[in-house]
Amino acid sequence: MNAWQFSPRRVGLIARVTFLEARRQRLLPLLMLGAAGLELGAQMLEEFNFGLSELKFIADLGQGVAAFFGSILAIVASAQLFFREIDERSALTLLAKPVRRSEYLAGKFFGIMAVISLFCVLMTALIIVMLWSRETALMHGRPELWERGRHLNYAAILAVGFAHWLGLAVLVAFTLLIASFAQSSLFTVGVSLGVLVICQLQFLAQEAYAKAGTLGGRWVAGFIALLFPNFQVFNLGDVTGVEGEIGVMLLARVTGYALFYVGVAGMLAVFCFKRREI
Amino acid sequence: MSAEPAVVIQELTKDFELGLRGTRLRAVDHLSLRIAAGQIFGLLGPNGSGKSTTVKLVLDLLSATSGECRVFGVPSGCMESRRSTAYLPESPCFHRYLTGRELVGLHGGLCGLRGAPLKARVDEMLSWAGLAEAASRRVGTYSKGMLQRIGLAQALVHDPRLVILDEPTAGMDPAGVADITALILRLKAEGRTVIIVSHLLEQVEEVCDRVAILDHGRLVREGTPAELAGSASRQALVVDPLNPEQLTELSAWLEARGRSLLSVGPFRSGMDRSFLLTPPAGHAAKYKP
Ligand SMILES: Nc1ncnc2c1ncn2[C@@H]1O[C@H](COP(=O)(O)OP(=O)(O)OP(=O)(O)O)[C@@H](O)[C@H]1O
Ligand SMILES: [Mg+2]
Repeated sequence: MNAWQFSPRRVGLIARVTFLEARRQRLLPLLMLGAAGLELGAQMLEEFNFGLSELKFIADLGQGVAAFFGSILAIVASAQLFFREIDERSALTLLAKPVRRSEYLAGKFFGIMAVISLFCVLMTALIIVMLWSRETALMHGRPELWERGRHLNYAAILAVGFAHWLGLAVLVAFTLLIASFAQSSLFTVGVSLGVLVICQLQFLAQEAYAKAGTLGGRWVAGFIALLFPNFQVFNLGDVTGVEGEIGVMLLARVTGYALFYVGVAGMLAVFCFKRREI
Repeated sequence: MSAEPAVVIQELTKDFELGLRGTRLRAVDHLSLRIAAGQIFGLLGPNGSGKSTTVKLVLDLLSATSGECRVFGVPSGCMESRRSTAYLPESPCFHRYLTGRELVGLHGGLCGLRGAPLKARVDEMLSWAGLAEAASRRVGTYSKGMLQRIGLAQALVHDPRLVILDEPTAGMDPAGVADITALILRLKAEGRTVIIVSHLLEQVEEVCDRVAILDHGRLVREGTPAELAGSASRQALVVDPLNPEQLTELSAWLEARGRSLLSVGPFRSGMDRSFLLTPPAGHAAKYKP
């Protein structure tokens, strides 16, 4: 009896197949395109020789590209990898085996997250390498500005990358939730993009209503705030710049926030998927 | 143990919602069936009669509108029930980018096998299905017959007691059909229960112990193939050509014994069989071990 409880091994097997599928669909080379664009932009900046502010530009650009491509990737990969098996009907043979629907969905989530993680690690590594080498070059050019060692806080840049990864995990979970009841991958992508926009911009509405809204308006805004995570929370780059510190407490709070939404979206997705007719 | 039926379906009904207006399509209509363990059971009926839907309900791939079904006593909603079942879907589609070995390994892993026993079992299944040579090729490159056989291999990897095959011979040539038929008979010899979905009685009458015929989701008839084909009380003789006088004599001989000559006509060998008896050169190499 015990052997047939929720099984991490089955989740792992499904995650692996999902990751293989992503590899076969050549999603990964596509990502390198983002990295190449970033590299190109940084090269162009170098010609202007802005000094320290150039490093800020590189960091902003890098994080912007990572956020943009990352969000697109999270949505498209989730929708694609979910519907691929449903449309090809290979999901039928998997689910005819002693596999729980929850295990199946969890496997999908972790398989997609493997792709996303690879992307985040690559982008963060690229950003750090670029900043490091550029800072080193600048240090040699104008040593007087770097008397007290390096300006950039590379640990904080890592933390920004981590928070960004957490944000993408939430996005993947929401996309899977939509996919769990949607009938097509195009619909899923469309709705998820809408959700992404709401999540990115809802803080504006919150602020506006907090200042000037009626009581009813504040209620609605508060309800939306609960329903949709505020993606600005995961954008630590804006909070700290490249020289600032990021505290462990802040990171822990952001992690908790992400886990909460991944958990809730995941449970709802399993609930919907259990009723789905394969 | 064998007293317990493999599958019990009681008053099973499935409605599909069509569109937004709340129109419904009843695919399975108050179906009750009892499939004894160790039998080969044929589920027959015309296109759209609800055979595949019934099978998916048994496997909990669809949820029933009402009624229930049990597999070896376990309600099919429980994951436990799928431990002892194997399923080959109609026009099977698998992960095309996996090799045959990876595919069977994946399904074996999902069923709880691991390590050396898994590896051994995968190899065993691949050679059982006659795919040992193609095992490291991608499933996407397989022919229809090979897909059908890799489907059987992945379905049977966990040594299930109940095997459900949805149109296992659709689109296959007579030699391929014969292969699959031989595999099915072997399953029965190993003591498994087999459910075969088909729309042709001729296709399954040789292998099935019992047959149920569905139409519009309802059970129309159930019995042995011979009963349903009305052949239990008939017999065919194949003889050298007789001239009309000899025929009259024969029928008089029969009548004297209380029998009658029901039909006389030219002998037609089934195309299938002649094909098998004299396989064209080149073809034989493909199918015969
Ligand atoms: N997902 C679905 N949504 C709506 N209707 C469906 C769905 N699946 C099947 N049906 C309908 O249910 C009925 C029974 O379908 P089913 O596939 O069980 O037939 P079948 O007996 O297997 O036919 P075939 O021999 O063609 O495979 C059909 O009228 C079909 O249109
Ligand atoms: Mg069918």
